[in-house]
Amino acid sequence: MTRLSRVLLAIASVLLLGAFLFPLWRIDLVAPQYPEGLGMLIRVNTVTGIKPNDLANINGLNHYIGMKPIEPTAIPELHIMPWIVAGLAAFGLLGAALGARKLLYGWLGGFVTLAVVGLIDFWRWEYDYGHNIDFEHAIIKVPGMTYQPPLIGTKQLLNFTAASWPALGTVCLGIAFAFGVAALLVARRRGANVKRASVAMAVAVAACAPQGPRAIADQGKSCDYCRMTISDERFGGQLITRKGKVYAFDAIECLASYYLQNAAAGDGSSIWVADFANPGRWVEAKNALFVRNDAHQSPMGLNLVALRHDADKAAAGQAQGTTLRWQEVLALVESHGRSSDPAEAAGVAR
Amino acid sequence: MSPLQLNRRVVVGAVGAVAIAGLVFACQATRSKPINLAAGDAASRVYIAPGQYDEFYSFLSGGFSGQVAVYGIPSGRLLKVIPVFSQNPENGYGYNDESKEMLQTTFGSIPWDDSHHPELSQTDGVPDGRWLFINANNTPRVARIDLTRFETDEILQIPNAAGGHASPFTTPNTKYIVSATRFSVPIGAKRDVPIASYKENFKGTLSFITADQPGKMDIAFQILMPGYNYDLGHAGKGPSEGWFFFTSYNSEGAYTKLEVNASQNDKDYVAAVNYKKAEECVASGKAKTMQADYDHNYTDPKSRIATTEKKTSVKLLDPRDCEGVVYYLPTPKSPHGVDVDPTGEYIVAGGKLATVIPVHSFTKLAKAIEAKQFDSTIDGIPVLKYDAILAGEVQKPGLGPLHTEFDGKGNAYTSMFISSEVVKWKLGTWEVLDRMPVYYSVGHIMIPGGDSKKPWGKYLVAMNKITKDRYLPTGPEMAQSAQLIDISGDKMKMLLDFPTIGEPHYAQALPATLIKDKSVKFHSLAENTNPHAVRAESETNISRTGKTVHVEMVAIRSHFAPDNIEGVQVGDTVKFHVTNVEQDWDILHGFAVLGANTSELILQPGETRTLTWVPKDEGIYPFYCTDFCSALHQEMQGYIRVSPAGSNVPLAANISPKAKAQMAGAK
Repeated sequence: MTRLSRVLLAIASVLLLGAFLFPLWRIDLVAPQYPEGLGMLIRVNTVTGIKPNDLANINGLNHYIGMKPIEPTAIPELHIMPWIVAGLAAFGLLGAALGARKLLYGWLGGFVTLAVVGLIDFWRWEYDYGHNIDFEHAIIKVPGMTYQPPLIGTKQLLNFTAASWPALGTVCLGIAFAFGVAALLVARRRGANVKRASVAMAVAVAACAPQGPRAIADQGKSCDYCRMTISDERFGGQLITRKGKVYAFDAIECLASYYLQNAAAGDGSSIWVADFANPGRWVEAKNALFVRNDAHQSPMGLNLVALRHDADKAAAGQAQGTTLRWQEVLALVESHGRSSDPAEAAGVAR
Repeated sequence: MSPLQLNRRVVVGAVGAVAIAGLVFACQATRSKPINLAAGDAASRVYIAPGQYDEFYSFLSGGFSGQVAVYGIPSGRLLKVIPVFSQNPENGYGYNDESKEMLQTTFGSIPWDDSHHPELSQTDGVPDGRWLFINANNTPRVARIDLTRFETDEILQIPNAAGGHASPFTTPNTKYIVSATRFSVPIGAKRDVPIASYKENFKGTLSFITADQPGKMDIAFQILMPGYNYDLGHAGKGPSEGWFFFTSYNSEGAYTKLEVNASQNDKDYVAAVNYKKAEECVASGKAKTMQADYDHNYTDPKSRIATTEKKTSVKLLDPRDCEGVVYYLPTPKSPHGVDVDPTGEYIVAGGKLATVIPVHSFTKLAKAIEAKQFDSTIDGIPVLKYDAILAGEVQKPGLGPLHTEFDGKGNAYTSMFISSEVVKWKLGTWEVLDRMPVYYSVGHIMIPGGDSKKPWGKYLVAMNKITKDRYLPTGPEMAQSAQLIDISGDKMKMLLDFPTIGEPHYAQALPATLIKDKSVKFHSLAENTNPHAVRAESETNISRTGKTVHVEMVAIRSHFAPDNIEGVQVGDTVKFHVTNVEQDWDILHGFAVLGANTSELILQPGETRTLTWVPKDEGIYPFYCTDFCSALHQEMQGYIRVSPAGSNVPLAANISPKAKAQMAGAK
């Protein structure tokens, strides 16, 4: 093994320890009565609530439908998993120290095996959790209904929407694997493979980068501020939180109003507006130009559209309008005060 | 200004003109319909869409309801009623074993009082959202409400006092809150005296109460005052920090038909108290320690059990023994409110019967004291010359000026009880700028932070005593009312009427952002130190001590444990100690049992409350959850069996096997 390869394997092994620091998986449950959500974090050695009493509250609710309570100490995998991950890390460090390529192969093979077995086992646990219902004592029985949470993605379980996603611990494991693959690519010689190794790592890093904007108009989505259905995306905007939750808006003023009313929205979230001149393209609000032109009726009545370039003004038929920046739009919406409130705004649109 | 706004002004002006004409006309003919003075865009200004929050919390006293009501501003939506001095069967406050000591006094337990003035705690003269204080007018007391839980935690009785009206106004860092006597009475050992010996024997007191530590409210000292009626007070700030101002009337010393006999003198007094000086005199032993019995009630936040501490003495300071501690400022005609502007320079007094609003200058006051510009001395209190301290008078403000608040932009707003209006005037020039009629008979007005160093001068709330035709009629008694006025522009704009609980006597308000994120969501079960708390069904218990049966129960969605109890006998007292073991926001349970001579329990998540029940006859009595908690709330019930006295039915309950084993082990 080359020196670089050994270093990469050592880094990969140390990264595995991220599984001890961060949760591996996260299941969020949201219901009408639980707008703030309940949730659990699956860690390498235990299951905890996202908020201090979430697990107890989930167990309390589950007794209605006959689900078994989650008792982390009774789940055998949680006793074994820390040893497996720690063992793999030790094995990798040993491989890096000895520089033996066979150990690197073994590390990678072991990693893949454990990942596959782990995911299958997790799915089986979820299956058992969702299907092993005590119907004799269940209070609410829905024929044919089971309550298995999704492995990845979202699913409706009675009044709860369950969302299950890998968490930071799993991201660490993924990056560790990418480093391991990189170590394999440069194991024999330097040169060209270094480039491939960097690509592998870049891919790993890119996978962790925050999500960009998505189309919002085509799914019958409604505006997260005024609740009207988003039919025309060209006036729209979206706010993507640090955690990747997307809030969609049918108009720039709805986005601005939401932003102004939710101070926390500014915390690490990215704000996007539709490029009026180029349908389907999105511009970050701070980089966009806003044009106010009463000849053009936006859904909420302030008649704002966003553009990427000044040159697009004419193309969008907006040559006459005044140009604003994002901060000025916020000030305009704020000074417009409550008249951009949902009810009145809806009245205007009617 | 856009043409639209101009039009709106014109319209409002025209409507106003028509309204005034209408008032004149109303002298000759009765109106058929109340006048609509609302600004054109009023609806959108007060509309808070479903799921959105108000900008301000406002706390309106309930007056004779003994409570505090919390409304969102600008919507006027009622958010909560906080019981303080009155029992509240709605949630068991003052009824259950844990909270009933809150209403304890040296007169015994008192189920009611008259709560007048809410006062927010301050830091550097600005409301800080830690606590709200409020006074009891009838049996003088002050209470502290914790603003993380919106609950009354502490009540201190005031001895040597009758009518705790000028209370509980705060000093700029809430070192003290005050309580002054609306009624003068004989003080000390000799209290059985002829009423006609008023001038000789009746005295007032000004109490300074330490207030900056929960659980430690106490009377630092009282100042003995001539037998006038002390009505309202406010602390100095900025240059006047260290001074406290109290209005008084009845310098005539009347003891009968006060409406005539206490309205004779041209001038009564504002008492200016140098409380720093009072502290020095008390520290140097010039105050007398006097025997006085009073109660101090405090709810420990962990056990949530109220206990009463009996106090037995108080320090009483006579101004004759402490030169320079009090001065009297002559003020026209039975002054009511006394309000200090945000800069601390101007002291505005509302003379109920005066034709002007007099404003005293603190700078002039300090100079007059230095130059000894005194008219006379009353019981060791120098009376300053009116002309030497006067900053100016607001001429023709209206009839019956009572209370003044400030917008922080150099303007003052005064309520006019008799002419039923709010008058805006300018500090310094004393010119009247605007008037807004209010319906009807306004008492206090409130601007968020409007009595502090930093008013949030966007809205004004007028609190009216009489509503008559303002709402759909509800018989002879109509709800009293608050009116929301926009004061952000040059002219006041009427936005909203909303009816209130009891009498909205006075109010305080502050931006919601100062407290909303500190709100407690549930009480931690792990920290619950109530001796009868049970944290899980496995800990439930039933036991007998003589004729008392203790049931330690759990309430959780959607059942009680235990829910079948036997072995209770006629003649027993049953204590249901119920713990709501939920650890989830806003998941409450209730508990009520058939025939109980008390209110239900309402149990916040994580809290333990006790209902005492004395069954009078044998039989089976159901109990149930009274707070709709869950889909199977209606199933949340149980039975308790009562047998005749001397029956051999053993004490039993269907608690968990583990709890049974623990109980067996304990025996």
